[in-house]
Amino acid sequence: MKRYLLVTLMALPLTAQASTPEQRGFQVYRQVCATCHSLNQVHFADLTGIGLAVPDIKAYAASHQVPDGVDDDGDPKTRAAHLTDPIGSPYPNEAMARLANHGDVPPDFSRLAMTEEGGAKRIETILRSYAPKPVDVVLGPGSYYNTAFAQNHIGMPPPLRDGQVAYADGTKATIPQMAQDVGAFLDWVAHPHRVARSDTGLVVLAYLAGMTVLLALLKRRVWKRLKESRQ
Amino acid sequence: MSKPDTTPSGWLETRLPIVSAFRREYVDFAMPRNLTYLWNFGAFATIALALLIVSGIFLALNYTPSVAEAFNSIEMIDRHVSSGWLVRAIHMGGVSMLFAALYVHMARSLYYGSYKAPRELLWLTGLGLFILVMIAAFAGYILPWGQMSYWGATVVINAMNAVPLIGPALASWLLGGEGLGSVALHRIYVLHFVTGFSIVGVIVLHVAALHVVGSNNPTGVEPKASDDVVPFHPYYTTKDGLGLCLFLMVYAALIFFVPDLLTLANNYAMANPLVTPGDITPEWYFAPFYAILRAVPSKLGGLILSAGSLAVLFAVPWLDRSRVKSARYRPMLRWAILGLFLTFIALGVAGMHKPTGLWLAISRVSVAYYYAYFLILLPLLPKIEVTRPLPASLRGESV
Amino acid sequence: MSRRIASLLFYLGSGSCFDVDTFLWPPDDHFILFKQDFMTQDADRPTSSPSCPLPGGGTRRRDVLSTVIVGAGCVGACALAYPFLDSLNGTKNTTLGEDDSIDVDIAALRPGQQLVVTWRGWPVFIQRRTPEMLASLKATDIVQHLRDPDSKILQQPKDAMNWHRSVVPEIGVLIGICTHLGCVPSYATPSANDKAGKYSCPCHGSQFDAAGRVYKEAPAPYNLPVPPVTMLSATQLRIGQSKGDPAFSIASIQQI
Repeated sequence: MKRYLLVTLMALPLTAQASTPEQRGFQVYRQVCATCHSLNQVHFADLTGIGLAVPDIKAYAASHQVPDGVDDDGDPKTRAAHLTDPIGSPYPNEAMARLANHGDVPPDFSRLAMTEEGGAKRIETILRSYAPKPVDVVLGPGSYYNTAFAQNHIGMPPPLRDGQVAYADGTKATIPQMAQDVGAFLDWVAHPHRVARSDTGLVVLAYLAGMTVLLALLKRRVWKRLKESRQ
Repeated sequence: MSKPDTTPSGWLETRLPIVSAFRREYVDFAMPRNLTYLWNFGAFATIALALLIVSGIFLALNYTPSVAEAFNSIEMIDRHVSSGWLVRAIHMGGVSMLFAALYVHMARSLYYGSYKAPRELLWLTGLGLFILVMIAAFAGYILPWGQMSYWGATVVINAMNAVPLIGPALASWLLGGEGLGSVALHRIYVLHFVTGFSIVGVIVLHVAALHVVGSNNPTGVEPKASDDVVPFHPYYTTKDGLGLCLFLMVYAALIFFVPDLLTLANNYAMANPLVTPGDITPEWYFAPFYAILRAVPSKLGGLILSAGSLAVLFAVPWLDRSRVKSARYRPMLRWAILGLFLTFIALGVAGMHKPTGLWLAISRVSVAYYYAYFLILLPLLPKIEVTRPLPASLRGESV
Repeated sequence: MSRRIASLLFYLGSGSCFDVDTFLWPPDDHFILFKQDFMTQDADRPTSSPSCPLPGGGTRRRDVLSTVIVGAGCVGACALAYPFLDSLNGTKNTTLGEDDSIDVDIAALRPGQQLVVTWRGWPVFIQRRTPEMLASLKATDIVQHLRDPDSKILQQPKDAMNWHRSVVPEIGVLIGICTHLGCVPSYATPSANDKAGKYSCPCHGSQFDAAGRVYKEAPAPYNLPVPPVTMLSATQLRIGQSKGDPAFSIASIQQI
């Protein structure tokens, strides 16, 4: 009996694996942000890059419906998304996006951490800077009070609240935590192949450094001949 | 007469003497023995161009030149095509490295008087190459169809429209009649690669012109004796090779570790014809000319000054009549030309900022000095300067 | 040793005598001076390379450094070529086992009729067979005209290795690509003259019977391929998965 208890206790840490910020950020994206924001350039299959298991990705893709031409009656039909499809937009077209968001289109996330001045850190700051509107401030409909902006307002309603998401590894889902995780996820989305890039770069620089040394030696040897023979 | 060469290379030689030509031009070719590393930058530019052309061809296999698909096809290359991110990075980084090499190369020529007789045509073909490179870079930047692509194109085409007589016609040909859309993008795509390939042809002319007169050297004194020169191989093959490794290290550091340093982040947003971004800046290599364009309030005036800044370079061999080539022996010119380089850099920095207040003042002063250098100082200095005595041979004063 | 190999490679590569040392260290008097004053005639040049058997290494020093540099340079050049050539693979790099099955509703399919759908970019013929068609498939007299009547060559999943080449006899599913050179065969609907129905390829005249089995006279070598099919119900079938042969992959067939 004691042996079985011990084995179970040892197995427990293996089932609740620590997740990375990008994985947690993806979970927040999926449950909160994807309601309004699109991810048009990232394919479902790309999510293996943050360590998601293939069956989970397949299930996620299967839960999305994408347009699939017309059926025999001439009506548009849909199918479940394939792994090579883009994660896409929650809205079927731009007009619906504007209708649902008082005339604005929620920006696509694919490169937001790059085009937003200040990058992922700025996005995190924006998410953390919602505050109750002071009494003397007047905001139009569709504007929400946010101290991260010079004019103190933003068109996006506060998306995060404490405990909104139940992280798989038990991390407490406070607003700062979720903001940070979303920032990490968007940073990963905006910089594809970042790891491969730096790894390749190290190899290339090491190779070039070696060649520099060798060529410096050869060059010196060649040019020394000049000094020797032609005084 | 040696006995007939029956080897395979001998067979080729009697029909097309490329083996002996190669040996003559790139192995045995006599070079001044005192060239510094500043003379490597022509070779660096050629390598950067070769990488740009090869990466460009492979990018072209996956790129679609239409408004609907351009941005998406580039994202596809960056994210989903095998090694596409690297091919694209080589292409984007290559442009900056090419311009950097060319600016150093041209500065070297200005400083050491490499444009003077008998090298005037070398200088002119080089300037022609520079203009072709600028056209190719401008066209290439439009292709991703990001915000900066679209609005940069808009600014330049409107500037083109301001050119009297031929401007509107040129702009109309580029656009294909309607506004900046798929027709224009397709034409700009063809312009981009046709210009790129033309550059290769003009380089052949440039190097041919060089090989007639031979390289200049830091003293400006032409080689006179056989021990003033060394064969290109192995002396300058090894020196160029070493310099190339360092050049490639900078290139690699740029594309692998700081890829966003020189790119404008706003170009990762798809072009929106209804929303102009808050600050339109060109890429760094066009910034000096952009600063000149905005230095004066007049549209045509800015255009004339900006185009004129290139045009005046064509006249340099005839503006500068000094018999002394190298600025090493012309102390007054040395200060003047260092001032020119600083001015150009200042223009570059000013071009990346809004043309107001301090930056506008810097631009104006810099434009004034730029023109003063070429139009006043260059013709005037030979009359009033005292040059240092030239050495007897390029091997220096010690001989 | 490496120097000998390098010399050998240079020798073989240039097709003429080419010595590593001479390549890297041309003799001092070996270059021409440019410019009119210094131009020498070709005839004045000293005879170029010394007569060169494979270098024995006797009089020349070992030039390890140059050889290593040239070798490493070649390695670097090949490594540089890799991403360019790899990019030719395009976006076909998903190894994630895509499930691209399609579900087809055949309720409206009449006997003798064929429906064409697309699966994986290929045309797929779905037939509802008449009793006469089934009888003709069983008949022995056409068997002698067929190249592979018993479907011995792997062109179908296991549950289609039968006399009707399908999961259920009444429904036939075939990939409509002629195994000769890839044209799409036309379907001859069973008519009063020919109750069996068959396929004829317009390009080079290959003929297939109603179950896609190729005739001997045809230039096509193999039967029409059968995709993996599961009958979800009497009116719904799924192309892409086979319940009777789950491990089957269409990539394993002899030829599409």
